Formats: sequence, structure tokens, C-alpha cells
Amino acid sequence: MSKTPVSKTNRLTESAPPRRPTAADIELLGFAQSAELTARDLYEAALAAGAGGDHVASIAALAAHHDAYAQSLSALLGTDAPQARNDELFASLKSGFGSDTESTALAAHELENTLVVTHTDLLAQLDGTEGAALVASILIGESRHCAALAALAGKSPTSDIDLFLTTSDVESLAPQA
Amino acid sequence: MNDFNRDELRRALRDTGDNSSNSLDAIVRATSGMNFSRSLSRRRFFLGTGATVSFAALVAACGGSEKTGIARLGNAPTPNELVEADVTDIALLRTATSLEHNAIFVYEAVAEAGLLSGDAAEIAKRFLADHKSHAEATASLTTELGGKAYTDPNPRLQSIYIEPALKLIVGDEASGIPATDDPAADVLALAYALETIAGATYQAYVPLLDDKSLRAAAMGIGDQEARHAALLGVVLNPSRLVSSFGLPLSAEYQEDTDVPAVAYASPSAFGTQAPVPVILGAANESGIRTTVNLETPSLNSMVYEYLDAEG
Repeated sequence: MSKTPVSKTNRLTESAPPRRPTAADIELLGFAQSAELTARDLYEAALAAGAGGDHVASIAALAAHHDAYAQSLSALLGTDAPQARNDELFASLKSGFGSDTESTALAAHELENTLVVTHTDLLAQLDGTEGAALVASILIGESRHCAALAALAGKSPTSDIDLFLTTSDVESLAPQA
Repeated sequence: MNDFNRDELRRALRDTGDNSSNSLDAIVRATSGMNFSRSLSRRRFFLGTGATVSFAALVAACGGSEKTGIARLGNAPTPNELVEADVTDIALLRTATSLEHNAIFVYEAVAEAGLLSGDAAEIAKRFLADHKSHAEATASLTTELGGKAYTDPNPRLQSIYIEPALKLIVGDEASGIPATDDPAADVLALAYALETIAGATYQAYVPLLDDKSLRAAAMGIGDQEARHAALLGVVLNPSRLVSSFGLPLSAEYQEDTDVPAVAYASPSAFGTQAPVPVILGAANESGIRTTVNLETPSLNSMVYEYLDAEG
């Protein structure tokens, strides 16, 4: 590789995307915040039901992660943030988040996969780079959750490796443009 | 008071100002004929040298001509012409491909050296296949955008992270580096850091990519890299899957240590751009092992399009 130093690292400005969320972005990011608050409440419901066993602290930490995502989206959206979970989504998933740790972990694994797919979808729709950067950092966190939850569900990192590594075939929740 | 002929010296200086090309001759003339055997006491020697250095500095500052005849201390290197490098989508994709080839290099080297066995070797084999697939995907996207796909490991990352890390693991007799005591554990620790950095790189590229559809494609791969890292976190630290550090959790859920573990399936809520430290190699005589901090490719590590022209 050349040792020539780089004097300038301009991005091409003619087609540079906006930094702040656009009006359409605000709607998408608001949707994402509701989804994160739903996930937080589902984990808290599982904790309240007694799920977790030896890994109860990990379940609590996962709930805190989703709360942190919702707060970060709130910071980006300001007064446009919905600040409320998606009740319909919560009701449809709540039965999976009970007292049994393994079945809760599997339900959470599917939820996290769904959020990963949803956020990947959102990235293709968002215009503003600040919103896209935040969603990307949330997505990385949720990808890691999937592997953690596969382990929490008692799956083997070798014989069940696809559960750890592959995004399952789930539907995106993202509103389509 | 001293043996310099002041009048002659003044004339020499005046001459120097008028015609700096003859400055050295003038100074020599001004000081000629002095009784050096008498005048060169140590103090005078320093006074005399100081005067000469001052003349030289004065002449250098005032001289308008290119040929001053004054000796120069040191050589300034010829400055390289700086290039205009744009962080285009193609440059980002080429850099991503190069990073995939760094990972391919590591897993192939590890397999060739037989450093892993059993389940760990199976996992590494799967990761190798995934990175080959990622490299093909990013190379294909590069050509779709009209760029030339990059097909080698990132040279800078290879030289500052990968090669030193592998030397710490297998040892390097020429450099006096002993092999590590537990190569398999070190390989897994290196892989954990490398996979974390790979995921962080795709994350970092999201706000830099101009084409929105590329963001989703990039994070499709970043998702897999993050899962690789998380799986290794499960292997390295199965007792604590999600770190509590930095989280507002009640005491009962906090870890009973002040120092985070070296690996977690989920070390933090968000994907971060922070360097990932990895401790490798044999301990030195003080019992300390080497820490290598892996970072995402910086602007000077990117595989810009102009590099093709330079070969």
C-alpha cells in the first residue's frame, strides 16, 4: 500500500444525506422507540414472573438495554418521541415471557431477531445520518442479544450454531414506505 | 578586550548584508591574522564560536540569494505531494472487503498451524466461511458501484494488529518473542476482538455511506460479525452473558467485581466504536502480558480508489 498521506478526506457533498431526522424519519424513529419500550416491558414482565435462574441479572440487563435504546431515541426525537410502548405488540408476545427461563429466552430470541430485521429495514428508509447511526448501534447490540439468548435457552454454540449466528426468518415490523 | 578586529568584523558584516554569497569569505578575512595561540582560551573559544554561529544565523536570515555558501545542518526531506482522497461508498466497501480478508487470513493461519481443536476449531471454520462470503458480498457491491474490488487483507491493519498479534501467539524467534502458554485461549481472545471490530466497522460506515440501500446491506453483514463476537463471548465467559457495567441496575443484578471481564456475549447496550483491548502472548519477567488495542480502520487505513493507480 502507498505510504502517501491523505491530505483531505472530503465526502462528496453533492449527494450528502441530511444529518438531522427528516419528517419521515421522525415517524420511523418514533416507531422504533415504541418497539424498544415494548421489549423493555416484556423483559420486565419475565423478571416479575420469576424467569432468569442463574442468569436473572442478564435478563435485567437486557431490559435496561432496551430502556437505554428508547431513551436515546427520545433524545434524538425530543417532543416528537411517542414515549409509549406498542400495546398491540406487547399483548401478542407477552405469553412467551413467563417464569420459565428457557422458553422466555427463546421468545426473547425471536423478539430480538425481529428487532434486528426491523432496524435493518429502517436503515434502508432513514434519510438523516444521526438517526441511522443510532439505529445501527442499537442493531449491533440486539444482534449480540440474539447469541446471548440462544445460550440462555441452553443451546449449544456448535450443534445449534445457526441459532447464534443466523437471523431467523421473521417479519420486519417496520412501516413500509 | 579581545583580539577580534572590530572594524574589520563590522565591515565583514556590512559586506555580508550587501552580498551574502561572499559571507563566509568575509568572515574568514575578518578573523584572519588573529593570534589564535594566545586568544583561544576556553572562554574565548566559546565566545568566538558563538559569534560565528550568530553570523551564520544572521546571514541565513538576511540572505536573499539561493547560494549562501553557508553549511546547512541536516537535510529536510522532500515533502510528498498530498493526495485528495474522498471517502466514497466505493472506498468504504473496499476497506470493508480488506477487513474481511484480514479475518480470513487469521482463521486460515490458525487452521494451518492447528492452534484450535474440537468445538473451537469447528466454530472458527464456520467463521472463516462466513468471512469469505462477506468478502464476496462487499466485493460484488464495489463492482456494482463501478469500483474495482479489493482482494487482499488491509495492509495497515495487517502490519499493526494482525501480524504482531499472531507473533505473540506463536512466538517469533528472530524478534525474541516467546510463544504464548495457551495458544487456543489467545486465538479465541484475538478472534473476539477482531469480530467486535468488524461489527463496529460496518456500524461506523452507516452514517458515511451516501446510498441508503448500502447502509442496510452493510449492517446485514455487521449483524453477523456482532453475532460472531457474541458467540465467542459465550464461549469465553459462559457464566455472565450480559455485562452490568454502566447500567442503572439494582445491586442484586450488578457483578461483584470492579473490573469487567475480557469478554461478554453482550458487553454493552450499544455497539461502540471504542478500541477493543486483547491480552496476548507469554508473560514477561514481571508477569505482564502484552495488550494489543484493536481499532476500526481510521481514515489513513482506508483502501482508497487512488491506491490502485499507485500499485
